Amino acid sequence: MAAVQSKSVKHVPTICYNCVSGPDFLSVKVEDGVATEIEPNFAAAEVHPAKGRACVKAYGLVQKTYNPNRIQQPMKRTNPKKGRNEDPGFVPISWEEALDTVAQKLSALRAKGLVDEAGLPRLAVSLGHGGTPSNYMGTFPAFLAAWGPVDYSFGSGQGVKCVHSEHLYGEFWHRGFTVASDTPNARYIIAVGANVDVTGGPCAVIRHADARVRGYKRVQVEPHLSVTGACSAEWVPIRPKTDPAFLFALINVLVCEHGLQKLDIPFLRDRTASPYLVAPDGLYLRDAESRKPLIWDEASGSAVAHDTAGARPAVAGSYRVARAVVADADKECREYTDVEGKTAYEMLAAHIAKYSPEWAAGICDVPADTIRRIANEYLENAGIGETIEIDGKTLALRPVAVTLGKSVNNGWGAYECCWARTVLAVLVGALENPGGLVGTTVRLNKSRDNRHLGVAPGEDGFMVQYFNPTTKEEWQTTPATRNLHQTLVPIVGHNGAWSQALGPTQLAWMFQGERPADWSMPMPTLPEVWIVYRSNPSISFWDTTHLAEVAARFPFMACVAYTVDETNYMADILLPEATDLESTQMIRMGGTKYMEQFWDYKGVVLRQKAVEPQGDARDFTWITTELARRSGVLEPYVKAINKGISGVASLKGKDYDFSLDPAGDLDPEHIWDAVCRAASLTFSEGKDEHGLDWFREHGFYAVPMSRLEWYLTPTMEKHGLRYELPYQERLLRTGRELGNRLHEKNMNWWDEQLSEYMALPEWHDVPARWVRNLEKSGAKIEDFPFWLLTSKSMQYHAGGNAGIEMMHEVALNLRGHAGVIMNAKTAAGLGIADGDRVEVRSHIGATYGKAALMQGVRPDTLVIIGQFDHWAQPFAKDLGIPSLNTIAPMTLDLTDATGSGADIVRVAVRKMEVAA
Amino acid sequence: MKRYVMTIDLRRCVGCQTCTAACKSANATPSGIQWRRVLDLETGEFPDVRRTFLPVACMHCGDPPCESVCPTKATTKRADGLVAIDYELCIGCANCVMACPYDARSIVHEQHFAYGESQMTSEAKRFDPGRIGVSMKCTFCKDRIDEAAATGRTPGVDPEVTPACVNSCISGAMGFGDINDPQSNVSQLLAQTQHFRMHEELGTEPGVYYIWNQS
Amino acid sequence: MKKPVLGASTLAAPKPQKNWDWRAASNFIAGGAGGALLFFASIGGFEPAPTRMAILLALILIGCGLTCVWFEIGRPLRAMNVYRHIATSWMTREAFVALAVFATGGLAWLLLQPLLAWLAGAAGLAFLYSQARILAANKGIPAWRHPRSVPLMVATGLAEGAGFLSGVAFLSGATIGFWQAAVLLALIAIRALIWNGYLAGLTVEGAPESALRVLNGIASRLTLFGHVLPGFAVLAALAGMPGRGALMFAAGSMVVASGWFLKYTLVRRAAFTQGLAVVRIPVRGGGPAGPAVKPGWKPVPGAKAG
Repeated sequence: MAAVQSKSVKHVPTICYNCVSGPDFLSVKVEDGVATEIEPNFAAAEVHPAKGRACVKAYGLVQKTYNPNRIQQPMKRTNPKKGRNEDPGFVPISWEEALDTVAQKLSALRAKGLVDEAGLPRLAVSLGHGGTPSNYMGTFPAFLAAWGPVDYSFGSGQGVKCVHSEHLYGEFWHRGFTVASDTPNARYIIAVGANVDVTGGPCAVIRHADARVRGYKRVQVEPHLSVTGACSAEWVPIRPKTDPAFLFALINVLVCEHGLQKLDIPFLRDRTASPYLVAPDGLYLRDAESRKPLIWDEASGSAVAHDTAGARPAVAGSYRVARAVVADADKECREYTDVEGKTAYEMLAAHIAKYSPEWAAGICDVPADTIRRIANEYLENAGIGETIEIDGKTLALRPVAVTLGKSVNNGWGAYECCWARTVLAVLVGALENPGGLVGTTVRLNKSRDNRHLGVAPGEDGFMVQYFNPTTKEEWQTTPATRNLHQTLVPIVGHNGAWSQALGPTQLAWMFQGERPADWSMPMPTLPEVWIVYRSNPSISFWDTTHLAEVAARFPFMACVAYTVDETNYMADILLPEATDLESTQMIRMGGTKYMEQFWDYKGVVLRQKAVEPQGDARDFTWITTELARRSGVLEPYVKAINKGISGVASLKGKDYDFSLDPAGDLDPEHIWDAVCRAASLTFSEGKDEHGLDWFREHGFYAVPMSRLEWYLTPTMEKHGLRYELPYQERLLRTGRELGNRLHEKNMNWWDEQLSEYMALPEWHDVPARWVRNLEKSGAKIEDFPFWLLTSKSMQYHAGGNAGIEMMHEVALNLRGHAGVIMNAKTAAGLGIADGDRVEVRSHIGATYGKAALMQGVRPDTLVIIGQFDHWAQPFAKDLGIPSLNTIAPMTLDLTDATGSGADIVRVAVRKMEVAA
Repeated sequence: MKRYVMTIDLRRCVGCQTCTAACKSANATPSGIQWRRVLDLETGEFPDVRRTFLPVACMHCGDPPCESVCPTKATTKRADGLVAIDYELCIGCANCVMACPYDARSIVHEQHFAYGESQMTSEAKRFDPGRIGVSMKCTFCKDRIDEAAATGRTPGVDPEVTPACVNSCISGAMGFGDINDPQSNVSQLLAQTQHFRMHEELGTEPGVYYIWNQS
Repeated sequence: MKKPVLGASTLAAPKPQKNWDWRAASNFIAGGAGGALLFFASIGGFEPAPTRMAILLALILIGCGLTCVWFEIGRPLRAMNVYRHIATSWMTREAFVALAVFATGGLAWLLLQPLLAWLAGAAGLAFLYSQARILAANKGIPAWRHPRSVPLMVATGLAEGAGFLSGVAFLSGATIGFWQAAVLLALIAIRALIWNGYLAGLTVEGAPESALRVLNGIASRLTLFGHVLPGFAVLAALAGMPGRGALMFAAGSMVVASGWFLKYTLVRRAAFTQGLAVVRIPVRGGGPAGPAVKPGWKPVPGAKAG
């Protein structure tokens, strides 16, 4: 069919990993050196849960490669003024000039010191959506490791656009940075806003499709009928941000209506802190000598340390304890004699009694009968007592889960939701057991490739935790990052590669403008050099207009650029990288990773150069090596590569050594060849050595993995550890201690956040926080009668591929895409017809688009899909698609204790006078 | 005699448009032209609302109305059930477009490129002037089916000889095979499920079966 | 480059056909009238001059229609391929009939030989019928595929042909006899009956609501200007009112104009596609199935979930 007869045709195996639910295998058809088609890679059908198929986004990669709007050669800014209304005047320059310009700035930083007078890194780096750029940035992680202190505070969405509280609490409770249902075994899932048929990638889509055909039931609890809601058995249109009340009521039905006897008593008794005795002051009663938490031993009829051999712990009840101590914040110890100790479960039962379905109904706008029925169905389907055999081992089968979606599991109310759904899992023994709720990876603990290795005994019979210290001696009084993550967020820790990135990112932006009146820390400075890779915070953050104004003040900015966009519009230097189909990188695949990426195989996969880069774009590994060379960090950079920081495995192992020499060949192909060999030897345990050429042909190397690795409970059992649930004594103490530190410095601006540190979370009218914020700004609630929410789209990974024409074309087949989704009846009342141009206004600004009328959305709710409202990026800027990000405020009031906020804002909507 | 049909399990489809995009990729259809797409249907009133994702394309009818109206014999029904168009014969009269009750056909009178006037390298490589001004539609990727006939492989089982949309479907909603073979994957699946064909009352004998429940 | 937005809600619903624009419509409008005029010219019993004029006018009408179509097709240089499918394609048959129309019609115009004229008349009638069948064969357009669309197209074509003949007679000063007037009156009545029957049938058997809306929207105008007023004019002429020729001319003009209005409406404005539908909403896991969904059509009676 081709007009030009093809001379050569080849099919190149590679991957797409633009969103967190990858890697997706694919094959690129290359005709005479031109990429023409994307196809599945069926060679991976056995190892890949989605059978070697890629999601819709991957099919846009050909257009991504040949998009005429690409930056194809290095550019420098000629207009010294920066701002949205200042044409940057980018002009082409040589690679030599571009690299030298950036390297000179970097060298100057090193000369002055890596940290400035405020104690903050002079170099800041922003990496895009959900950590996925690491699948494209080659050896850049080695550069960053070689550099020293780098500030990732400015992020690009981590903290504000991720499932933030789930990351932090999930990892704390069960090493679940992302938490999923064990869909292959699931029988009943309550999805509270979890839009997994859109965000879970091909693995989740096929698993849930299989489960539907098998007859599992999924109940979607969400204010609008999302794609996932559409594919569910039932839709419960809950009032926005009232999810904690709904979940509390489910616990109430289980605990107060069914009672302990219907729950998984062995699990609660042996794997959770349910039996731990709690003093009237809310702290664990501890053994006076060993300081171990006490339990009531039914065998001996006495309080004993939790790990007493042969003890039979009471799960429920209240017991008199002759002598005990409690350990409060700052190691303050109090003694008790003849004190009443209630088990943690008993505390939960008493606490949750007030949260009946009837109570929740009024808050959530969901009938009490519906809540009760769902709770009953959940319990019934949990099949307490059932078992399953996996690889010769018998495990509990508990095929029920509650999954949470973005804005349910970040921002205010998210702690409550994360806690409640994890408690719902432990009540029936479904936490980290087959069919139940599983964590899939760790990022705040080590090792990031095996979460079981992050399980080790810590305090009080629980897993070890690496909280940021809050003691007088160790608390970080002078923040080392602009998002203050170690100072303000103990739970985000300091143990994992991502701890910093998971800090309160918005604070870094906010505090460049106004700071609280009682701020008593050093004034935050601007980073002297900001490097941005695959990130467009001026679109993907909140209050984006203001954010772009702040970004314009940064003194020097180097952006790895695909096209001009809203962030690199302020850049000094643009560096064009070879994109997805033009560059090479090896990454790990399989094992258990984000979302529903738990596989039966693990190994490595190559993303390879299928076609030559367009123009003068260069492989990012080459760019990185040149920057390292020119800025004087070549040696530590190569050392970091040799350690395996960028490339899957250490280049030197027990029986092999492919270490690179800083003075030798550092061509990307040479680097990746070494990585390929080290990786294949590592995964084959010394049996197979495959170089780059082998991987170019075969694409990946995989070894089988037992499904036992999916579940953490056997590992907990092995270590004799308990999940730190349902009672949160540690969090209570930590919050008090953090409060002490802040108050010692006369800082009260974080007090509202401190209120989140509760041992058992209380309902605190979460939606009212947004109302109060509105009123504080002088606006009236009646002028902003709607909630505006956002929802993800499978066709777009955040805003990253907004410039790909085919994605726009196919996305338009879905209702609501590119418009403002609103309830048809509400719209009729406002005189708005389908397709009318409307203004959606919050108290900080307005965004404009066409009304998309649907029945499947609450009358009080509007929804805008994706992240758009581009004004610089070619193609995207002509789409006229609105965005929540433009009008959602960035404020301390709406920041929770973990440092996250939610994608929700009160708005007004009106029809524009002039038709578009 | 073979009759190739497609099965689409509506229980599985999530409306992701991967098949839409894969079809565009495999067939190099111009910007704005989709030989297949997934529709998004909403029914009911809040809060009793249902949303259904419905993949649609040429139904490769057993009695194709497009074929009988075609004045040029450009549209033919093949012995294996595929409804094909010979672009060399078609005069672009659009009679078949009107005859098709499935909105499956389109005619492009001028080529549209993804990014306006300028043609991308990948578009230039695949631009086929023979498809301008003639009727086009889903072919069931007939080159692949022809290859199956030549090589003895089985469409719907061997990916190389299976339509691109079926290959691409990430929810496993689509199947393809010979309905006249009781042992084929599609025959087996249809025997176990409840299904319908669209607008069957029009007597078109469509070759796409929509599954909506188990038997 | 503005890209369209928000098409998803309308994708499944019946849409106005976009492939046959005014050019294709012109063929049905002019060609059908021309075919019928040719028929009536051959049997009209007029003097040679008006007969010639009528034949010429008929050929011009048919020729113009076909020329318009030629300008519409995507590959005009391959137009001869239209003759490849006489077995089932009414477009092929129309094209063959068109050859006969021009051959016999041309000779009849030249020679005014009765046999040739009759042959030409028969060809004209066949041309009209072929056109009606072209429309009806289009299963994708519910308003066309209804079986009563064939008599409707034939009836209006005949009425228009008779109307044209009255015009030719008036302009050429020929005398219009009783039978000529009676035929026009009868054709007006028949068209009125068939039109009402068609609309009733379409409503009962189902069509896209948008198509029904358009057709119902023209009903009163069509009845008044296409049937009642011209009918009275012919009756007046038959009743011996002075100015019979002028009355017949007025009646004929109204019949032609209303017929063309009807055909333009049918081919362009009421030509909504079938649209897409599901017979059952699927079961998703533990949930229920749902009833049929047919966007743009009246709800299916008796449909319920479960």
